[in-house]
Amino acid sequence: MEPQMKRWKGSACDTDSWVAYPVLSDDQSQDVELIEAFAAPIVDKKETSRLIRELNSLYPLNGLQHIKRVRACKGKGSPHPLEVLVCLVSDAPDVKDVSIGSLLPSDGVRHDGLGEPFVVKVPVRPPLTRPQFELVSKHWPTSFHEDKQVTVALRGELFSPPQKATMHLYMMSAFTAAEAGKEMGMEAVGAVVVNPATQRIIAVGHDCRGDHPLHHAVMVCIDLVAQSQGGGCYSFDKYPACRFTLSDTDTFKCSVEASSQPYICTGYDLYVTREPCVMCAMALVHSRIGRVFYGTASADGALGTKFKIHSQKDLNHRFEVYKGVLSKQCEDLKSLDSHSRKQRLEDCR
Amino acid sequence: MGTQGGSEAAAAESFYPSDEDIEKWMANAFDMAKDALENGEVPVGCLMVYNDEVVGKGRNEVNETKNATRHAEMVALDQLLDWCRHRDLDVRSVCEQTALYVTVEPCIMCAAALRLLNIPVVVYGCRNERFGGCGSVLEVSSANLPQTGTMFKCVSGHRAEEAVEMLKTFYKQENPNAPNPKTRKD
Repeated sequence: MEPQMKRWKGSACDTDSWVAYPVLSDDQSQDVELIEAFAAPIVDKKETSRLIRELNSLYPLNGLQHIKRVRACKGKGSPHPLEVLVCLVSDAPDVKDVSIGSLLPSDGVRHDGLGEPFVVKVPVRPPLTRPQFELVSKHWPTSFHEDKQVTVALRGELFSPPQKATMHLYMMSAFTAAEAGKEMGMEAVGAVVVNPATQRIIAVGHDCRGDHPLHHAVMVCIDLVAQSQGGGCYSFDKYPACRFTLSDTDTFKCSVEASSQPYICTGYDLYVTREPCVMCAMALVHSRIGRVFYGTASADGALGTKFKIHSQKDLNHRFEVYKGVLSKQCEDLKSLDSHSRKQRLEDCR
Repeated sequence: MGTQGGSEAAAAESFYPSDEDIEKWMANAFDMAKDALENGEVPVGCLMVYNDEVVGKGRNEVNETKNATRHAEMVALDQLLDWCRHRDLDVRSVCEQTALYVTVEPCIMCAAALRLLNIPVVVYGCRNERFGGCGSVLEVSSANLPQTGTMFKCVSGHRAEEAVEMLKTFYKQENPNAPNPKTRKD
């Protein structure tokens, strides 16, 4: 790998041409769901704490703990500084003319200090990302436990320029492998497994499905990683671009501690030119991959397009996924492929 | 595409294992699962049958290969490919007439691999609540994935309780290759 590294460090490595965005779970990326509720102005501020207490006991907002009971309405042209959430529309007694009297039985909450109710919308679930939070805040205030990393990642700013330069190199290795595979008649897909702790490339592979229909680039890399640990079950000797580096524990002194032995792909990062299919994505779950970076989406992709296997509920391993690394070059590779696929179909006719 | 899909569906329709087939081949798969259990591997047995002949069989080989994708089905698929190669037969036309018998529902990865190879029918014992790709976790078998081979039909439930019992016995033992469990830092 060394000569290539130097070449790329020497040339202007155009990391500004791409941005890596996170592929978030459906819960994090979906639209916020809103439901209707009755709110009322607090006309007498002194009654506020009593009203909250009594409303909480009459209409507890079960499962909606993220919603703030009271909001300040400064600068909204309201003559009252505070508004309180009375109840959900679905909780309200079935009456034609909704008034504060019909919502609140006289023995439960004293109406003193409350104005006439009106309808607002509140989110069913707590916001998980800043965009979701900003959206729901337009309707009614909620609590928000911000995951700063997700916020920064959604802005495309998670990785510093030096980190991007390293990612660029790894994806270039995958790209180069894809081209080598392409020259041998395979689909133009390449992948690289890296140990981010040591910054060492563990395995480089490309699509080899000419020999075996399941030897997608990711599957090849997984077996090469196994080979680096003294396992594996295929030979890729006829593909010079498919290679592995013996694991650190083999080259350096063997550690006594068993936990420092590499275990399949635990803690490793994968760079792959296009989004993995269902088989490859699940193979990465089984292999306990650390993170996955891909260049461009695939039609049947399983890390964002058709499924989000990396954030699938019920599975015993989850991982972060980022897309867009070297997106332009990876997109070009893919269109090269769909072109040759069309060509093959035409040749068959 | 429309007519092609129609003929594929018709082929799968005519290609359906009989109760006798299921009885016979599943007994075989269960023997293999027992063998796996005795060798410290996940007790899953599977075989692929073409023209009443076993063209591939396998058991889980994850620990010995250090490759987490070496599930019984993947091992069997490799044998099927070798079988075709030695006889110079077209892989696709063999696969389209091959049924897979397996003691546990194929995982998401294996289900996708079976699609990629156009296997039309999968007979399995118990559900796979952890990883199942035929409905338990995801429904890969019948999902709309035009770039991922063809859908397949499932026949499930044969000797299901027995298959579950074997899995339970295995998971009660310790996996010597697993990393140290993470301790919670709260």
